[in-house]
This record gives sequence, C-alpha cells and structure tokens, in this order.
Amino acid sequence: MSGRILTFNIFRYDPQEPGDKPKMVQYQLAETSGMTVFIALNRLRQEQDPSLQFDFVCRAGICGSCAMVINGFPTLACRTLTAKYPKGEITLMPLPGFELIGDLSVNTGKFMRELAERLQLWLHPKGGDMDIHRLEDPMAPEEAAKLYELERCVECGVCVSACATKQMRDTFVGAVGMMKIARFELDSRDGRSADDFYHVIGNQDGVFGCMTLLGCQDNCPKDLPHMQQIAYLRRKMASTLL
Amino acid sequence: MTAGVSKARVLTVHTLNPRRAGHPWSARADKLQSITGLMLGGFLLLHMHFESSILLGKEVFYQVVQLLEGGMFSSTGHGFPWVTKLFSVLMLAVVCLHAALALRRFPTQLGQWRQLRAHLGSIAHKDTHAWFWQLITGFVLFFLVPVHLFTMILNPEIGPHLSAERVYHDNAWLLYGLLLPAVVVHAMIGLYRVAVKWGWVQQRAPLRKLIKALIIYLLLLGSASLLAYMVIGQGLSLPVTPFVPGGG
Repeated sequence: MSGRILTFNIFRYDPQEPGDKPKMVQYQLAETSGMTVFIALNRLRQEQDPSLQFDFVCRAGICGSCAMVINGFPTLACRTLTAKYPKGEITLMPLPGFELIGDLSVNTGKFMRELAERLQLWLHPKGGDMDIHRLEDPMAPEEAAKLYELERCVECGVCVSACATKQMRDTFVGAVGMMKIARFELDSRDGRSADDFYHVIGNQDGVFGCMTLLGCQDNCPKDLPHMQQIAYLRRKMASTLL
Repeated sequence: MTAGVSKARVLTVHTLNPRRAGHPWSARADKLQSITGLMLGGFLLLHMHFESSILLGKEVFYQVVQLLEGGMFSSTGHGFPWVTKLFSVLMLAVVCLHAALALRRFPTQLGQWRQLRAHLGSIAHKDTHAWFWQLITGFVLFFLVPVHLFTMILNPEIGPHLSAERVYHDNAWLLYGLLLPAVVVHAMIGLYRVAVKWGWVQQRAPLRKLIKALIIYLLLLGSASLLAYMVIGQGLSLPVTPFVPGGG
C-alpha cells in the first residue's frame, strides 16, 4: 500500500495557550510500507508541524503511552497500521475521559495514580510483613502464570475511554481497576481478604455499576479477558454478599 | 466560666460499622434486575407465540386461549378471563420491579446524557449503541406496557373476535404498533446482555447473530398477527359476537 497519500484529520488544542480553541487540522503524508499511525505522527511532527503533541515511549505496544481514538476506535497508535484504512483517511482524537495535556496527549498517568491510591493497587504482604530482606515464599508456576495474564495491562487508558458507563459516572472504577483488583485477589502473597476487595468494588462504583457494554473487552489492545474477569467478580461477589 | 474541661461524661458508646464489605443491596439490585429481565423476556417469547396462533386460524387461537385461561378446570371447557386479569397484575408487579431497578442505569442528569451522546458520536462500538437503543426503548416501555396491562386487567376477555374488536374497532393497533418494536428490541438486547453479563456465554458472535435473527423473526411474527387481527376486525359487524368454535 506504499505510495498512497494519506490524509490525517487531527484534533488540535493546547489548553496552555491563551485563546487557543479546539479544532481539527488536516495533514497529508506519503504512505510507506509497514507504516503505523505512530510512525506517521512522528513524520508529521518532524517534517510538517513541530508543535504537534502526542505521547509515545516504546513504539512496540508495551508502554501504553500512544493510545488515542483512531477513526472511532480507541487503540494504540504504534500497533495500528495505516494500511488498515483503504480510503487513506485517518481521524485522530485524544482519549476522552482524561485530562488533556495538548492535542493527542492526555494525562493517563495522573488518572492511574489516583485509581491505584483509591483502590490500593499494590501488594499488601501477609501479616504486614515489610522485611525486604526476607526471601519470598515460592509461588506455584500455575499461579504465576495466572497473575502474569492479568499483569499484562499497560495502563493505556483505552478501556476507560471505551466505557460509556465510566464516561457517564466519574466514580465508576472501570475495567482497569477491576482487572487490577482481580490480580491482587489471585496473589497468594497478598494479605487482604475477599471482604477487603469487595469493600472497594462490591458496589455501584464497581462490578454492580458495570452495565456490560463491553467497550473494554472489544478495544483492549492487550486482549485482556475483561468480560470473563468482570463476570467472574460479579458472580463471586453476588454469591458472597447475598 | 471556662474552668477547664472536665472529664467527658459518656453514657454509652455505640460502635458504627465502617468496614461493611461491599453493598449487599447493589448485588441484590443487579441480580434482581437480571432475574426480572429474564422473566419478562421469557414471558415475551411465549406471549408472542400464543397471540400469533391466530395465524393458524380462529379455531386454533380459541383453543390456545381456553387452555391458557384454565379451560380444563371448568365443566364447560371455557376458560376464566380472571386468569388473564390475575396474570396481568402479576406481570405489572414484575415490570414495576424491573423498571425501578433499571432506573439505576439511566443517565439522570443532563451532563450524563451529554457525555453519553458525545461517547456514542466519537467511539464506534456496537454493543454500546445496542445498549443506547435498549435505554430508549426501555424509556418508551415505561408508558406503553402499563397501558397494555391495564387494558388486560380492566378488559380481560380474549378471543378471535374479541381481540380483533380490540385491535380494529377500539384502535388498540396503534398501541400494539408502537409496543411491538419497542418491546422486541428491548427484550432481545436485554437477554443478550444478561447472558454475557453473568458469563454464561463466552462466544458473543453466534449469540449476536441469534439475537438479530430473533428480533427480525419476532417483528415479522408480531406484524403478521397484528395484520390478521386487523383483517378479522374489519370483517366484524358491531356489536361483536364472541367466536364459537365449530360454527365460526
């Protein structure tokens, strides 16, 4: 598909700049083979508009920084080939639901930190054992594999932007929060009881507020099993709480 | 008179329970919404087929009505219309409960509605769009279902001629014409959601196809039977005499 001229419609707005207003700006670029939206954005910034703002670090779908809405689908720019769009028209919008830094750059870090603090998304060792010199108990490979599956989340924010429930209700935990709760609940090293976890997501802001719209499941760039995970938590909590 | 703070004179201490694990009522509400939804969706599937038996002829419909009204318990073989009345009251109660629980999902503030519209406009996601239609049809059903149920509570007589009279001469076709698409779309998307919500179905694509096929099938079935009642109603002269089996 190389040789085509791609047309990019990009959301531009810098909240730091007084008087700036949100607008859609059009750019054109010659497509090269294997081009991703991330590569195209770098070329645009290098060759056409150095003021263009967007986030990236790893360019390999690992850091989760370059998430944006591409032609209506929230996803990672570095994993989206421009060849996917036969018309050669690509519209880029920043992820909704996050603080806008500028253009396509949003502050997912601030959101994820607040979520982690609210849900206490870190390991709470059993018995409050904080001795960092003590060797950890060995973990069964099956358990480690299960944890690893949930640990693959890169905190890109796609599930938050793809969730209409989250967009309507700010206090809703969202798929990323529930996925991380599930991760620590599985962890045998974590001292928190099931009750402790239910306390934070066994309510309208957690699993019982989820309307099963499945934007998280359908858009997660890491293909995490959100649907099964949330259904599992819902079943488990419904049977425990009743 | 600030002669120092004396010892606190506490009578009793009642400890509040700040660490209640989750909210049982959130769980109950979610479960009950699904259960009542399943009941209503299941009922709709049966109801649509029973009323559509008119497509197989007046005689068949007549027999179906007698059977459902408990005709086997009467000496004459005729059913009791109060069975319909009682059932309508029960269904109204289930609908009320379902509606009250579903209200939790409605965007009740203008800001939420704005967010929802903006989301639908910017994110292409079919299941979310399906939910939006479930929301809209759910709102419509708040007003249409009670009208239908009150009609059946106040006027429970059902029969090939009596129902046709209701549809054609009493203009209930207008109600049914609006009710049919709203209830079919709402219920089928709802059944789909319940199945994936509790993790009973992992493969969504075949389920989606089944639901789409069911929506088309039920709409056709409902429209055809509505048309049948219209045609029968048109051929009736007022006052309408109830259908007599065998003699037509």
